[in-house]
Amino acid sequence: MIQFQQVTKRYAGGFEAVKNLSFEIQSGELLFLAGHSGAGKSTLLKLIAGIEKPTAGAVLVNNQNVARLSRASLPYVRRHFGLIFQDHKILFDRSVYENVKLPLDITGFNGMEAKRRVLAALDKVGLSGKEKLNPISLSGGEQQRLCIARAVVHRPAILLADEPTANLDRDNAHDILELFKSFHQVGVTLVISAHDETLMADYGRRILRLKNGQFTA
Amino acid sequence: MKHWFRLHGLAIARTLKALLRHPVSNGMNLLVIGIAAAFPLGLYMVISSVGGIAQKLPVEPQISVFLKTDAPAEAGQALLKQLQGNPDLQEVRFVPRDQALKDMQAAVGVEDLLGGLDSNPLPDAIVLKARLDAPALQLEALQRQLAGNPAVDSAQLDSAWAQRLQHLLNLGRNVLQATVVLLAAALVLLTGNAIRMQILTRHDEIEVAKLIGATDSFIRRPFFYFALSQGLLGGLIACGIVVGGIVWLNPAVADLAQAYGQQFSLRLPGPLEVGAVCAVTLLLCVLGAWLAVRKHLHKYH
Ligand SMILES: Nc1ncnc2c1ncn2[C@@H]1O[C@H](COP(=O)(O)OP(=O)(O)O)[C@@H](O)[C@H]1O
Ligand SMILES: [Mg+2]
Repeated sequence: MIQFQQVTKRYAGGFEAVKNLSFEIQSGELLFLAGHSGAGKSTLLKLIAGIEKPTAGAVLVNNQNVARLSRASLPYVRRHFGLIFQDHKILFDRSVYENVKLPLDITGFNGMEAKRRVLAALDKVGLSGKEKLNPISLSGGEQQRLCIARAVVHRPAILLADEPTANLDRDNAHDILELFKSFHQVGVTLVISAHDETLMADYGRRILRLKNGQFTA
Repeated sequence: MKHWFRLHGLAIARTLKALLRHPVSNGMNLLVIGIAAAFPLGLYMVISSVGGIAQKLPVEPQISVFLKTDAPAEAGQALLKQLQGNPDLQEVRFVPRDQALKDMQAAVGVEDLLGGLDSNPLPDAIVLKARLDAPALQLEALQRQLAGNPAVDSAQLDSAWAQRLQHLLNLGRNVLQATVVLLAAALVLLTGNAIRMQILTRHDEIEVAKLIGATDSFIRRPFFYFALSQGLLGGLIACGIVVGGIVWLNPAVADLAQAYGQQFSLRLPGPLEVGAVCAVTLLLCVLGAWLAVRKHLHKYH
């Protein structure tokens, strides 16, 4: 489903965040991405979603080279993904409900069915009854759940979560990972990054360990 | 197609929400657009109103030369010959005193106008019509020269004020053109700047939307709707300002015209003019939006 072919990413300024990586992610897989801060986890996830373009090599999603996509078709490919950003990117000028609805807005999905989907997503992450609140009034864990609801509301086939458990206490982190597990069980492909590997151990899945932009054993 | 309408409906809803979120600053912006567009429209209404009566006035300057009653006939004929060769004149007509009397009798409607007088007191006259493009200064010189002729009693340059009005109107039209150009640029800059500010304040929203798969047109659409609404409402406000101004000024204008023995008032803009103003402000605002969007949105990718 996702293929990296000798992918290198060099940022403007010359820093190589990802060095000659080749790997594959199967459809329906739950993959962890481990590594310290600065190892290249975010860069790798951005390469999958086509947010960054590889300096060398190719990233294929469903056999499509993401870097080759035209500016016009890139948005439609992005909609296959549910993205959970490391810096959350919550919009504080609108309600929880409006935040979660955004992915539906951009596809023109509207009306009762949209409302039902937003409320279902909020229910799924345990934020029922908080839809009218401003996200500023949510706790750290709740904000993370809001991000997850927004990422799944349009029912993407692939979920990319960048350090979704960072800054959360252990219980909260576990709840979040349980949530991801439930998505995995219904066939969603997941790539989850974290700098704290101890959490992943409990799940016994495939782990890719990154260090200075390269895989380590 | 249904999908397309839904996307646009959503964009309009978002635009209205955005407008209402900052009612004061958007209202101010609208007012500035309205005032800016009211200037050329007001000037246009004045010019077209004045132009209406100016057209009824004799426009080609005319010089009436009255010969001395005791001047020898040959002197009059010589002058006539000389004037017929003048390239600035399109018509040189000799009006004998008998003809002048008849004309006057016809005009007044009295058969025996002379009554007790034993002879016709009217002089022979030469009526000169200048070409439209004859320089005003040259005509004034000709008038002075004729007045100095020993056979001439008096020479009057008529419709000089109509000529001046015509010059004033031409000046007004030039000012109008300059105003239109300047204010068109102002509107484009004004909307462009308003949209630049919006793009800046909505940076987070644009960034997230772009990241999760919004198309360029989805991002641009609300800004264009914003510009459309600003242009349309701004144009209507301009028309409102001008109508209000004219209604307020007209009694005073009518009084002034009355003092010159004229019936005159400023015209109100008609539906066609209102439509034209709104169309122009709309186009200019959309142009401003297009420029701002092109310049400031391409960095989101
Ligand atoms: N936009 C960027 N420009 C330049 N360097 C960057 C940029 N983004 C990340 N980097 C650098 O690339 C390296 C890897 O970053 P990142 O992928 O964010 O790592 P991680 O997510 O594992 O912490 C870091 O050293 C970071 O400083
Ligand atoms: Mg990171």
